[in-house]
This record gives sequence, C-alpha cells and structure tokens, in this order.
Amino acid sequence: MDLRAGDSWGMLACLCAVLWHLPAVPALNRTGDPGPGPSIQKTYDLTRYLEHQLRSLAGTYLNYLGPPFNEPDFNPPRLGAETLPRATVNLEVWRSLNDRLRLTQNYEAYSHLLCYLRGLNRQAATAELRRSLAHFCTSLQGLLGSIAGVMAALGYPLPQPLPGTEPTWTPGPAHSDFLQKMDDFWLLKELQTWLWRSAKDFNRLKKKMQPPAAAVTLHLEAHGF
Amino acid sequence: MALFAVFQTTFLLALLPLRTYESEVLSEPLLLTPESLKVSVNSTRQRLHLQWTVHSLAYHQELKMVFQIQISRFKTSNVIWVENYRTTVKRNRVLHWSWESKLPLECAAHFIRMRSMVDDARIPKPGFWSNWSSWEEADAQNSLGHDPLLVFPKDKLVEEGSNVTICYVSRIHRDNISCYLEGVQIYGEQLDRSVSAFELKNVSFIRKRGTNVFCKVDQGGALGGIVLFVSKVLEEPKDFSCETQDLKTLTCTWDPGSDTGLSKQPSQSYTLFESFSGKKTLCKHRNWCNWQVAQDSQETYNFTLVAENYLRKRSVSILFNLTQRVHPMTPYNLFPKNVGATNATMTWKVHSIGNNSTLLCQLELLAEGKVIQQHNVSIKVNGEYLLSELEPDTEYVARVRCAYTNHFWKWSELISQKFNTAEAAPSEAPDVWRNMKMVSGHPTVSLFWKPLSKVHANGKILFYNVIVENLDKPSRLEVLSIPAPTRSTELTLDQCSYQIHVTAHNSVGPSPASVIVISGDPGNEEVESGRVNGTEDGFSVSWKPQSGDATGYVVEWCDGPQDLPCALQWKNLGPNTTSTVISSGAFRPGVRYNFRIYEISAKRMAHLLEKKAGYLEELAPSDNPQVVMSNLTSHSFTLSWKDYSTESQPGFIQGYHVYLKPKAGEQCPPAFEKTVLPEDSLCCKHTIDNPEQKTFVVENLQPESVYEFFVTAYTSVGEGPLDAFTKITTLDEYSHILIRIILPMIFCVLIVMIICYLKHQWLKEKCYPDIPDPYKSSVLSLIKSKENPHLTIMNINDCVPDAIEVINKPEGSKIQFLGTRKSLTETEFTKPAYIYLLPTEKNYSGPGPCICFENFTYNQAASDFASCGHFPVTPQAPPHQLGPLTSPENLLKALEQNYMNSLGEIPAGEANLNYVSQLASSTSGDKDSLPTNPPEPALCSEYKMQMVIPLGLASAPPSENSSLSSTTLLGQGEHYR
Repeated sequence: MDLRAGDSWGMLACLCAVLWHLPAVPALNRTGDPGPGPSIQKTYDLTRYLEHQLRSLAGTYLNYLGPPFNEPDFNPPRLGAETLPRATVNLEVWRSLNDRLRLTQNYEAYSHLLCYLRGLNRQAATAELRRSLAHFCTSLQGLLGSIAGVMAALGYPLPQPLPGTEPTWTPGPAHSDFLQKMDDFWLLKELQTWLWRSAKDFNRLKKKMQPPAAAVTLHLEAHGF
Repeated sequence: MALFAVFQTTFLLALLPLRTYESEVLSEPLLLTPESLKVSVNSTRQRLHLQWTVHSLAYHQELKMVFQIQISRFKTSNVIWVENYRTTVKRNRVLHWSWESKLPLECAAHFIRMRSMVDDARIPKPGFWSNWSSWEEADAQNSLGHDPLLVFPKDKLVEEGSNVTICYVSRIHRDNISCYLEGVQIYGEQLDRSVSAFELKNVSFIRKRGTNVFCKVDQGGALGGIVLFVSKVLEEPKDFSCETQDLKTLTCTWDPGSDTGLSKQPSQSYTLFESFSGKKTLCKHRNWCNWQVAQDSQETYNFTLVAENYLRKRSVSILFNLTQRVHPMTPYNLFPKNVGATNATMTWKVHSIGNNSTLLCQLELLAEGKVIQQHNVSIKVNGEYLLSELEPDTEYVARVRCAYTNHFWKWSELISQKFNTAEAAPSEAPDVWRNMKMVSGHPTVSLFWKPLSKVHANGKILFYNVIVENLDKPSRLEVLSIPAPTRSTELTLDQCSYQIHVTAHNSVGPSPASVIVISGDPGNEEVESGRVNGTEDGFSVSWKPQSGDATGYVVEWCDGPQDLPCALQWKNLGPNTTSTVISSGAFRPGVRYNFRIYEISAKRMAHLLEKKAGYLEELAPSDNPQVVMSNLTSHSFTLSWKDYSTESQPGFIQGYHVYLKPKAGEQCPPAFEKTVLPEDSLCCKHTIDNPEQKTFVVENLQPESVYEFFVTAYTSVGEGPLDAFTKITTLDEYSHILIRIILPMIFCVLIVMIICYLKHQWLKEKCYPDIPDPYKSSVLSLIKSKENPHLTIMNINDCVPDAIEVINKPEGSKIQFLGTRKSLTETEFTKPAYIYLLPTEKNYSGPGPCICFENFTYNQAASDFASCGHFPVTPQAPPHQLGPLTSPENLLKALEQNYMNSLGEIPAGEANLNYVSQLASSTSGDKDSLPTNPPEPALCSEYKMQMVIPLGLASAPPSENSSLSSTTLLGQGEHYR
C-alpha cells in the first residue's frame, strides 16, 4: 500500500478533527467538578476496609492480652474507658444529626482513637503486634485524612483541638495493669463500633449526595456558609 | 581550790549514773520498754516496716536486747506471727524490722505490738519481758477507693515456680463471687466475711503481658482483676568467652539463655566488669559485648559478666591473657594467579595484628568437595603459594584460613576461591569399535567410540578425526571430522583392507590415535554358541584363546532386548585375559543378551572367537505357544507349535508341557502322568524335554470323547502362564467306515432311482401291471419256489365245461371243520356233491353277475344258500365267530348289509366278470377285518381259490396223476386251522 501526499494530508486532517472533539467525549471529560461524592464513597470504602482489618488485629491483640479479654462473651464494666469517645448514640439523635456535626463527630472520634491506639502500640511487647498496630494506625490516619477531605469538599472547617485536652496515654500510678487491659479492650471495641457507625454515616451521606450533584452541592454550600 | 571543787563535782556527777545502773542491775531486773513504735506498709512488696526506739538507755550505753513482735490479722486476738528479734540497742537509736506478709496487705488489717527484754551477757540475772507496747494497726485498705470488688496483689512480679497468694475484698458482701485464673475457676479460702484468699502454687510463665486473675460477682456485673507477672528464672550466662581480632578490641560472647522480659520488667541486662582495671561497661546486646583494650599494655584480664533483672542477679567470670585469645580476621583478596594446565599460584592478604606479628595460614585445595592438598604458610600481610600437580581443565576450590603464630587460639574464618586449570591435549586414544555389515553388496563399517573420561579428555572434546587408509593399494587418505557429541560414524568401503585411525581433539590438540584394521571380507565366521550365566554382578564371560599372538580381546553385546535397535556396547580386554565380567545398568532380568568375543590380532584385526547367550536372570515364559491341532482321529490328534520362537523367550526354553484334561473318570493316556493344576483340578501332563520338538501326537484316546489340551513352554524357572484349555472331541470309531459305505450306497440308490424314473413304464409292466399276469408274477414264482414247487397256474382253457366229476372225500372235510361246524359237515353228506357250471355271459339270466368256480374244497351248504353270492370264510376267523354266520338268516343279513352295498356300486356292464386277484383276496383276508367287515374285493366277483389239496389235508386227495380237470388253488394250509 503506497501513500501519496494527498492521502497524508487527509489523515492529518482526520486526526486533528478527532483531537478537536476529544473533550466532548463524556468518558474523557475530566474538567467537570465531581463534587464530594467520590470522596464520600472512598471514605465509606475505607471504613469497611478498616472494619475488616480491625477484626483481625483485635483478635490478635486480645489473644495477646489473654483470657478473659479474648473470650467472645466478655463484657467488662467500662471503668477507665470513660474518656474514649462513645460511638453509640440514640437512633433519633443520630438521624437528626446534620452533615457537619456528623462529620465533625467522626473526625474528633478518630483523632482521639488514633492517639490512644498509638499508645497501645508503644505498649505492645511483640514486634509482630507492633507492626500490625503501626499498619492499622497508618490506615486510620488515612481515614482521618479522608474525612478531613470530605469536610473540606463540603466547606466545613476542621474542628480545632482545645488546648490541654489532647488525649494522652499515660496511665496514672493507681492504674493497674488489669485496668489497662480493660481500657485496651474498650479501645478496640469502641473503635470497632465507630468504624461500623462511620460506615452508616458515610452511607447516609452518600445517599444524600446521589441526587443531581449540582443541587446537592448548592445545598451543602448553603449549610457551610 | 575552786578548780578542785569543780573537778570533784564533775566526778561525783559521773559516778551517779553508774551507781544507779549498778544498783539497778544488782538489785532489780532492768526493764527497757520499746517506745515510739511506728508501723508502715509497703503494699507492693507486701511488707510491714516497724521502727521504734528504746529511750530508757543511758547515754553511750549499748545493750543486747531481744524484742518479741506479735502480728495479728483482722483483730488483735488473731495472732498470726510471733518473732523474737535480737539486736544491740543504743540510746535514741531507731530500730527497724520488717515482715513480709504472704497475704496482700490490702486484704486485711494487721495489728502489731512488741515487748523487749535485755539479753546481754554482762547482766547475769535472767531477764524479764517488758510490758507489751500498745497495738499498732497497719491498714492498707483505707486508700482502696470504693470499687465493689478488689483483687490483690496488683501487678505483682514473681519468678516462675513461686507460690503466690491472691485475695479479694468484696464490699458488697455477697457469696456468689467466683475467681478465675486465665479463665479457669479457682477455689480459695474465705478469711473474713468479705475477704477470700487463693494460693497459687508453682506459677508458670504464660505471656509477656502477664497472667490474668479476675473475680466477678455472678450476674452482678462487678468485676475486679489483677495481672500477675511471672518471669522466667534468670539463667547464668553460658559459654562466656572473650577474644580479640586485632589486640585492640576484645569481644566477649555468651549464651544468654531465656529472655526474662515482661511488659512489667525489661529483659535482663548484662554488665561486663574487669577487676584489674576496675572498669565496667553495660552491654547493649544480650549475647555479646565489646571491650576496648587499654593502651597500657595490660596483658591479663579478669572479666565478670553480670546478668540482672528485677528479681535476680547472676554472674560468671573468666581470667585470660590477651595474646592467648587472638582470633585473626578472615583473610581477603584470595585469587589464583598464572593458572596453567597443571599448576596455579594463589595469593591472598591478611589483616595485620599489632606490629611484626606473623600469622600461620593454611591453604587447602579441594576437588569435587574433597581436600586434595594442604599447605601451611607463615606470612605477615601478603600470602602466596604455588599449587602444582593439578589436573588440566579441572575446577578446584582453594581456601585459606589463618591463626596467630605466637599462640594458637583459633583459626580465622575461611575464605574460598574457585578456579579452573587450563586445558591440555587428550592423554588417551578413544576406545573404538566397529560393526560390519553388507549394504547393497558393499561392506559397510559402523564405527563407534566412547567419549573420553574427564581425566583423559583434559578439556572439552571438540571433534573426532577419522582417517581411513587403504592397506591393499596406495590411495589418498580419507579424513572425516566429526563434531564432538557424535559417537559413531558409518563408512562404506570396498573389498580391500583398511586401517582406520580415530583421534579426539580439544582446543589444545589431538589425542593419541586409536587404530583398527578392517578386512574387505565381512567374515561371517561360524563359531560355536555357548551359554553364559548371569549373576547379580553381571555376566561372567570366559573364552579360550585361539592364537598366541592376540593383542587383546573385545567382548561385544547389545544393551537392549533383541527386538529393539542394538545399542552396541563393547569392552576392551588385555591379551592375557580370558574372562571378564560384563556388567551394565541396562541389563534386565528376562532379556536374552548375546555376547560376541573377538580376538584382536597383532595387525589390529578382529576375529570372532565365540558367541555366548545368557540371561541376567531367567524368567518363566511370558506367553504360550500358539498350538495348531491336526490329524484328529477317534483315538489321537496331533498338536504342533512350529511358530514358537525359543530365542525370544525370557529364559532358555528347556521343553514343553502338554496338559490334557480327559473326560471325568477316565485315566490318563499312557504317555501322560497325573498332575494337579493350580486351581486344584486334576490333569494329565506330558513333558517334552526337547525345546526343538514342537509337535506332539496325543494317542490312546477314547473315541467320541471330549478332551481339553494346553501346551506351555518351561524354562529353568518355571512354565508359562496357565491359559485356557482348548476343547476337542475325538471322532466316532465307525464313522469312517460308515462314510465309506454310505456314500457309495447313496450313490447307487440315486442311480437306481434315476433308472427307475427313466424306465418306469417298463417297471410298471414288470412289477405292478394294471392286470397282473400270473405268469409274470414274481410272487408266484417266489411262492412256487419256496413253498410248493408243484403249484401251477390254473388256465381257464383247461376246464371242461360239460361236467366235472367230483370225487367226494368226506374225510378231508371232516378234518377241515371243527366243533360247531360239525352239523354242517354232516349236511354236506346228505346231498350229492355237484358243481354248478354257470352259463357264460350270454346265457346267463340269473340274478348275480358272478361266476363261481366251485370245487370240493368249499362247503356245499354254504354254496347252496349263497346261490351266486358267496360268503367267504376267512381262514383266521375263530370257530366261535363262525357259528352265527352259518345260519342262513345271518348270512343273508350280512350279505344284504355289506355286500350288496358294494355291488350296487358296480355298474351293470362292468360287473359281468370280476376277476379278483387271489393275491388280493388273500391279503384282504386279514383276521382283523372279519367277520363284520369282510374284504370288499371278495364280494362282487368270487374267485375261489382252487388248489390241489394235498393228501394230508384233503379228504380224498387225488393222486398227482389224476385227471382232474379242475385244479384248486389253495393258500397256505394254516389258514384253515
């Protein structure tokens, strides 16, 4: 097959026409603002992933604590764990939460839980457990960043930690090791509940974002400002 | 004076106490009460600390005293401990005593009091106890808070194997409190209404996070627990030693044993202490530690390694001289230099140790993992050694290690280096053999050679050169170059003799040549074949040398079975050898191997000497001969298996077994013997011990009997598999005779039938004419000839129509009638005997159409009433049946009923003359048909048999020469009996 000069010009023109119309192809059009929808979806996916990851980590850690903490029906009183953010909330209250409050609660909870979890990591005696906890902490940090991203996309400011209220993991002298183990137990349990709640929270948000994106964006902007 | 007064006063004051003391000691017991008793609690260590003073003592006075201490639990009356504590007491000196409680102090209030007694030798009087101090309470429960359920001791650290007492304090005063150790319920002792104690004996390490003990109120929700940290027992460090690599740093190592680390307790620490210098260092690692050697040339060191954790301390010491603990560093830069085919120089370096120190290095040379050379070299820094006696093109490993020369302590680590020596020309000629055959009339030589061994190849063989030289006529040398992996070639030659040189070449040069001479004649010499026995080691082949100038022998064989292409193998043997063992991994049991032994002449020509065949292990035949049965007779048959090859069997065939199963109960034929088959059936067996006899005649069999036969070959191991028997039935004994007779007979009958068919008219005339001619009747002739030669045929023409004179012979009638027929006989005599001569057809006007021939042999009376209708009397009729028939009425009736019916059927025209064959009449006179069914032919026309009555039967037999015109034909005489 031989190409003549006339053919080459024709092909070039054709190529140019294709390139000119490329932005019009919907699948390739990346210029539009996708809104917070994808971020919420990603955050939702991340909560589900962390939920799964925590299941394995908690099993290992509770075995490390020993019985009765690794027994399935163990439900100790919440003695020293009062400072942990509670995930459980009245259903009506949860339904009536606005998006900003919902996201803020999530953000604050994971900020605290992450801090406690790092303290847990420092106490772990085995290298393998430390690696697993460090990996989970990194993932949880990612979730925190993801929530912050959703809040930023919706125009909500991040909650500022009050000075002096930074949670610490320095047990007092009267804090026995048994109570410490109970706190660890509650930390993991609360974390699991929070991840479960967050999945619900972000699923709810996701459903709210599904109507025409522009309308939702406007609505959220009205909230934000 | 004043000074004296002051001095006196002071002296008196000084004496006063002594005086007082002496007066007390000597007069009344000295009572010194402990004062200011204070009790403090150390909950962690579960110890009560007591401190008190004894104020009553004089200044600078020291006394030995004993303090009795009482400890009560829960209440003062419950004394649980009493101890006497002896000590020396000074005035205002605070005394201390502590006591460890097994029960955690938080679980119970403790009360302590004490009293004292002087226990000093300087005071001879026996002492008396002072009064008890008041009870002091040690209560650790005040600071417990308000938790409903508390378990103690908190976070206690113990060693493995300890006994630990756990207790709980319940503020809810319930009985349903259960306690668990690692999830397993434990049971203890209730000490108080709200306190229980549990003794854990010989506790063991479970995990670093501690052992969980917790108590809970059943269904109450209250829960309390502790973590008991059980540490492994700290072990003494083992294998503690120190050494130096450079006389600058000492490295001490040890085996630390178990790690005693818990989350409550860090792992044990190690401290290195040197007693001469008094220095110590905390080791960063748990199994080694570095110690910097001082510059002050300290030679002797005394190290103590101390292992320590919260619970225990362990130590171990060593004393050594520094220069006796030199462990040199691993040599480096080990390289081969100037590597030739048989030698190489190795060079290496070592780290220097101090100044002018020498090291003893050991150079080892390894080939195929084994040390083949070992050399010791003393060096300072650089080492070099020439290795010789190496094999060309061989991979070697050189390795070096060094030790301190002044005082050997340890070899350094090894350093290794691989190297290959250079190639050299192959050192040995290739082992060549040939196979000759004729292809299209030309002698074709297949040349084979074995690859040179690594020892002789001295490098990688690249190709083989084959030089063919014609010995009979001068011609150009033919050179073939064959690339290396090939191990054979084929040459097509003519009838001349050739000398073939084969050389192997590597990169350096050729090997010595292997020479073989081939004559133009393939020389299919016929030599005797023998057998060779196989053993586990192989085949032991031996031969007889033929000529004295043999330069060697070659044994040739094929590795595979005969039916596979031959993988030619051979073995070269020296001229003085007459036997060898041929072994090969390819030999298999049950395969026939053929060996050919060649003698190599001085001219390098090979002559076939012997042939041998053998089995590594003989097996029983795997298949049986295909037997053909022939020559079946009534007593024998022949079996043959000509196609059975004895050569291709898994053993030398020694013969055959012919099995024969006769029919039940029959004996074996003579050549057979009885045997029992594997399936327990009886059978006859005949053994043929000649493997070449492949036919067998089974004889002496019963005719028309079923036999089953089966033929199998056998080797020295056994016979072939038991196959199915073949059934055969012997022939009938007479069948062959029958065949010889029946066939010709059938043939004859056929011919007769054909003739009969063709000549049936003539036959009809002859044998069964429509109107029989008595003269022609053969029957008559037969009768005549056998019975009565005098019988003749009556001719009508012979009759005299006018009158017949009848001579009455009454005797003869009498003889013929018996019993009831007597009256009839008598009637005959009352009337004159006469014969009616019936008119001819023209004159006849009577009622019947019959012609009657009468003679005296007939009953007259019967003839009368019968008129023309005559009733024949069947001779066989019994006499009692004859009776009724004799009456006229009966006879008439019978005639009317039977005979007239028949007559009625005869047309008038035709009924005028009925001639009835006497033969027919005779045959119809069957006794069964009488009297009710007389034969029909005897009715219409009556032909009375007329015969000449013999003399013995007739009453008046005429003489043979009489002139009787009428002759009576009579049947056989017995008819009338």
